[in-house]
Amino acid sequence: MAVTSPIPGARFVDPAVLARVGNLELVAKSVVDGLINGTHRSPFFGASVDFAEHRGYVSGDDIRRVDWRVYARTDKYYIKEFEADSNANFSVLLDVSKSMSFGEKISKLDYGKTLAGCLTYMANQQRDRVGLITFDHDIVNHVPPSAKHLEVVLHTLDRATATRPGQIGPPLRKLAEHFGRRGIIVVISDFYAEPDEIFEGLGPLRFRGNDVVMFHVLDPREIDFGFVEPSSFEDLESGDQIPIIPDKLAEQYRKLITEHTETLAKRAAEQQMDYMLLNTEMPIDFALFRFLSMRERLASRR
Amino acid sequence: MSFLTPLFLVALGALAVPVLIHLTQRERKSVVQFPSLMFLRKIPYESVQKRRIRDWVLLMLRLAALGMIVAAFARPFLRGSELAAAPGGARDIVVLLDRSYSMGYGDTWQRAQQAAVQALSSTTPADRISLVLFADGAEVALRSTPDPSRASAAINAASPGPGSTKYGPALKLAGSLLAESLLPRREVILVSDFQRGGWQPDDTLRLPGGATLTNVVVEVATGPNLALTPVALQRIRAAGQPERVGVTAGVLNRGTTAAASVPLRLEMDGRVVQTLTASVEPGASATVTFAPLTITAANTRASVRLGNDKPEGLSPPGSVDALARDNVFHFVITPSAPVPVLVVGQDGRGDASLYLSRALAIGDAPHFDTSMQSPDALAGDALARARLIILNDVVVSEAAAAKLVTFVEGGGGLLLALGPRASWPAARAAWLPAGLATTVDRTRGAAAKLSGMDYGHAVFEPFRGPRSGDFSSARFYSYRALTASKDATVLARFDTGEPALVERVAGRGRAIVFASTLDLSWNDLALKPVFLPFIHQLGRHLSGFKEQPAWLTVGQVLDVTAAEIAAGATTAGTASSQTARTVLAPSGQRRELTPPAAPPGAAPTSTALELGEQGFYEIRVAGRDAGPGIVAAANVNLAESNLERMDPKELVVAISGDGSSGPGGGQDVLPDEAQELAQRFWWYLLFAGILLLIAETVLAQRLSRAAR
Repeated sequence: MAVTSPIPGARFVDPAVLARVGNLELVAKSVVDGLINGTHRSPFFGASVDFAEHRGYVSGDDIRRVDWRVYARTDKYYIKEFEADSNANFSVLLDVSKSMSFGEKISKLDYGKTLAGCLTYMANQQRDRVGLITFDHDIVNHVPPSAKHLEVVLHTLDRATATRPGQIGPPLRKLAEHFGRRGIIVVISDFYAEPDEIFEGLGPLRFRGNDVVMFHVLDPREIDFGFVEPSSFEDLESGDQIPIIPDKLAEQYRKLITEHTETLAKRAAEQQMDYMLLNTEMPIDFALFRFLSMRERLASRR
Repeated sequence: MSFLTPLFLVALGALAVPVLIHLTQRERKSVVQFPSLMFLRKIPYESVQKRRIRDWVLLMLRLAALGMIVAAFARPFLRGSELAAAPGGARDIVVLLDRSYSMGYGDTWQRAQQAAVQALSSTTPADRISLVLFADGAEVALRSTPDPSRASAAINAASPGPGSTKYGPALKLAGSLLAESLLPRREVILVSDFQRGGWQPDDTLRLPGGATLTNVVVEVATGPNLALTPVALQRIRAAGQPERVGVTAGVLNRGTTAAASVPLRLEMDGRVVQTLTASVEPGASATVTFAPLTITAANTRASVRLGNDKPEGLSPPGSVDALARDNVFHFVITPSAPVPVLVVGQDGRGDASLYLSRALAIGDAPHFDTSMQSPDALAGDALARARLIILNDVVVSEAAAAKLVTFVEGGGGLLLALGPRASWPAARAAWLPAGLATTVDRTRGAAAKLSGMDYGHAVFEPFRGPRSGDFSSARFYSYRALTASKDATVLARFDTGEPALVERVAGRGRAIVFASTLDLSWNDLALKPVFLPFIHQLGRHLSGFKEQPAWLTVGQVLDVTAAEIAAGATTAGTASSQTARTVLAPSGQRRELTPPAAPPGAAPTSTALELGEQGFYEIRVAGRDAGPGIVAAANVNLAESNLERMDPKELVVAISGDGSSGPGGGQDVLPDEAQELAQRFWWYLLFAGILLLIAETVLAQRLSRAAR
């Protein structure tokens, strides 16, 4: 399904179509390259070409890094150092709890996997070290960030399934100890937890200097509650059932979910995190584009 | 409205089932899986608990059907029906009416009938009446009728029979009838002359709880009461003259006045042959002996009568007393027929059978008609006339053995006394009770003795008691070794353990082998006192002799088969025993008597006839012209003529314990079971419930089609 783009010339691909393409790398490459070619905008962020300082040459330094112009002027060997001469760590924290398996055309998990794949591919194109952590109520898989881990990350994403109930707080608190080096952390989840618990988990990550990006993935029916028939609603994770007459409480539900997303957005802004609500009907590249735009705007402000 | 089994109402809880089905069925069809109920739980619960019931008509139909079915099982009924309003409660009455022959004394029976009808005059339409007629047995003449007129008609139609009084069976039958009763009051009304002889205390005899016994005593008028005692028959035989029989009759005066010159008539085949008189004091007896009569025909019917009573029944005016049934005594006289015995001995050795023939000649009961023959006689027709054949140390040819086998299997008896010459064809050796072997010589050393007699057997049964015969005194110097066959019975052994007397049943007859001789050549048994009774017992047993009684008592059972055999039907064989017979009762009633079917291969079964009337029974084999068959005389029980009365209270205390009324005695209403049984609401409820279920099925199908 083609979605009308707010950006002239950009073409977006239906995520349901992408989900049918089994090769995640191919999907990521198509989405990212298509996006870059379509927009002609630099995809780089956190650029490392800014000059930082000169220092004296010491034995062992690569002579290719000697600033020959300064040598011409001063007749001394100086090494030119840049602001970000080393790549950033890019880690995706993907929620694989059972609730992520919900979805009619495409499940939230598949959507999240595609999104994570695209972001990882994009970061890897920037020479960032990419890593992946899947979690439910505990850490399921942990691929440490590395420049060579793109394939491992994609493979791990491909195998990820949503089978167990989830809990966002404990795994995030456990992860905070692993992120000693500053980097970019992308959290993809449906965030079915109280905001306090969510930010208690994410806070330590942020406090260690990481850039935290929250992708709140929800199915359209979770947002607008488009059910009609009175039914028993079964919790995917706990198996509990309660009888529901949708027309009686849809309005209250929508109000509650809106309050929840607004609270998350507000709290994220307060802690200088990026928050984005993603509807699984929204094309992946469209979501990426909005994300990059948002990052650029925020980066310029920071 | 009450319920007989209210516990079933618990099942009304099942009414919730259709409601739950209505409410849960749709939810089960659509369970929606949702990522998290986190927000849904925050919505107040009441808003999601509401459910809707759409098909109210179906629901109501199901509820009504279930309710009716449950109510049907709870057995509803209405208390206080019209039936229960009878004052004092409804009664189940069993009238026991004594119909023993003592009730025929004078007008006792008429008064008993009136008393029984009178006892029923207070019944209400709610009461149920049963009538039981009893003597030594009891039978239900009328069962549980609310109509007293029917009961009265049944009472008036009854008459006293020849039986004697026995209260036990009647009370037991009444108890079983009342045990099935559902009415609140149960009552037994016993109408009788309460003879003491009819009551034997029985601890196990009890009326059901709450049942009462009401005695209606029918007083027996005082007056003369004479009874004939069983006759004594004396057979007189004289050489060259036919047998004569002397009849001695006894008269018993149970009355309070002396009877003088009471005529006693002896009748033969319905004709009066002699009349004597006797005088008897009160409480005493007298005997008269009629002149001996020559009896020529078998089954001669004889009777002794007091006065002019004839025939049996209620006493006609002018008889010796008011109780006629005990004023006559019937009996059957048959000339005693000698048992034909064929003794076969070796030619020229007449002394070998001397002791045997002498012993048989002395016999009186029965008389043995002995015929001495040589072995050649076995080839002739001498066997056809004999009932017992004794082979005294002879050689038996093949042809003779074949005839002997046929003779025995047809019902005859065979005794083989073995000496040095005795032999039997080897081809038929298996038929004999024992195989014949070599001679055992005990002339040297201690002679053999008889021991190990089977005193349970008919041959040795008279010698069972102490000092009843000593077989051990006889010395056996030689004998033939015997090997008993598998189906034979060893009746006596020598002290060495070898068989001495072996019996085998063959067909309807028997064969016995004696291992030694019946003279003095091999033993001295013939000189011992036991020889004579031993030979007589052997003769009786082997010839099948059984003396038939000249009379029986009403209520006893006649073994027709045994009587026929005793009357000479030895060769009638199995066919006769399985043939239907015609019985002519004293009342003139004729009926067929069919013997019970015997399983294939089994011995023929005996035919029995219960004698229920007083007089002569005549039994003939159906379809056979020759001979009158057999005749049996039946007399009333003499004990019934004793009219001494017992205290009726003794009976009440014995069978009802403390005599108190049961729990139902004070109730004014029918028990719940009876009311429910009468109303049967459950049936209508069940029917209506099923109809509703059918309607619900039809409606549900239509609604289902419409919904599609």
